[in-house]
Amino acid sequence: MRSRTRHLLPVVAFLAASFLYAPLGVQAQTSATQSSTSAHGERWLHVRVISTNSKGETVRVNVPLELAEKVLPAIDHDRLHNGKVRIGCMDCDGVDVRTLFEAVRTTKDGEYVTVQSNDADISVTKKDGQLLVHVHDKNKPKHSQVEVKVPMKVVEALLSGSKDELDIVAGLHALASQGDVELVSVKDDDNTIRVWLDSKNVTTD
Amino acid sequence: MVLLAKIALGFGATVVLAGAYTFREGVLRVDVDETRGQGHHVHVWMPAAIVPMAMHFVPRDRMHDAGERAADFMPLVHAVAKELQKYPEAELVEVHDGLQSVRIRTHNGHLLIDAEEPGQKVHVSCPLATIDDVSRELATFAPAS
Repeated sequence: MRSRTRHLLPVVAFLAASFLYAPLGVQAQTSATQSSTSAHGERWLHVRVISTNSKGETVRVNVPLELAEKVLPAIDHDRLHNGKVRIGCMDCDGVDVRTLFEAVRTTKDGEYVTVQSNDADISVTKKDGQLLVHVHDKNKPKHSQVEVKVPMKVVEALLSGSKDELDIVAGLHALASQGDVELVSVKDDDNTIRVWLDSKNVTTD
Repeated sequence: MVLLAKIALGFGATVVLAGAYTFREGVLRVDVDETRGQGHHVHVWMPAAIVPMAMHFVPRDRMHDAGERAADFMPLVHAVAKELQKYPEAELVEVHDGLQSVRIRTHNGHLLIDAEEPGQKVHVSCPLATIDDVSRELATFAPAS
């Protein structure tokens, strides 16, 4: 009995050590394989604000879209319920937003609005399933530029809920299916703002 | 002599096993360093496995009270903790404002929060699984909606 125990002891010790440290090993391997490009086609929404004032304020936010999709329905506050925002003005001043969007969605690509003045140039264009808004403000010393890109599929998903509400979760889901895209870009004297979508889990620039 | 050796081996093995299990769950860490004024320094390191265990020893009425107070935001905390476990290595928020800065990220399955301002530094590290466990435990004491 004694000799059997003596023989078994190293085996038991080895098995115990394997059991105890196996999860740590797996975790270490998982960490080592992490890189800036996320796995499984994860989509990340990035927000970057860089201020050129004396304080040099910087804000970097990286949010996995899947996380936002899962977490939003858990928020039940004010106008946000179950991943939907009640806005109550879908019929703003007699303008039916849904009908307007449907009209824009079904029309051909083209430049719909062009305003050129001494103060600013503004254009609204529909191209390749995206609505592009470009504003060039000439009043500031460095001429600020604002560019907004809105995928039509995302707007369609946002408006897919019942009347007077925006389905944010559906919008995020539609956004996740888009390729790498820069949604908002603002450049002016004081700030540079970028909102974009890609598969990287860190801000590389 | 052999008997003593066996007792020592059993005791040692128990301590090693208990230690390994406790620390396998990760460590909850809170560091606060003040360099201004009286300069308080708070450093708390504890095995995260203790937290859900300790909750079982809290009086039920206190847990019901905590569950009631946390009822509004506990589903959100639970959802965030559960989902963040899928992203063990991620930079989530980074804010620099002059001499102040805040950084929130995940690393090795831990949620790390670093905040710094002149005269004060705060570092919090907590395993996401522990936040998930605690939120789930508290949710059981929340009043049914």
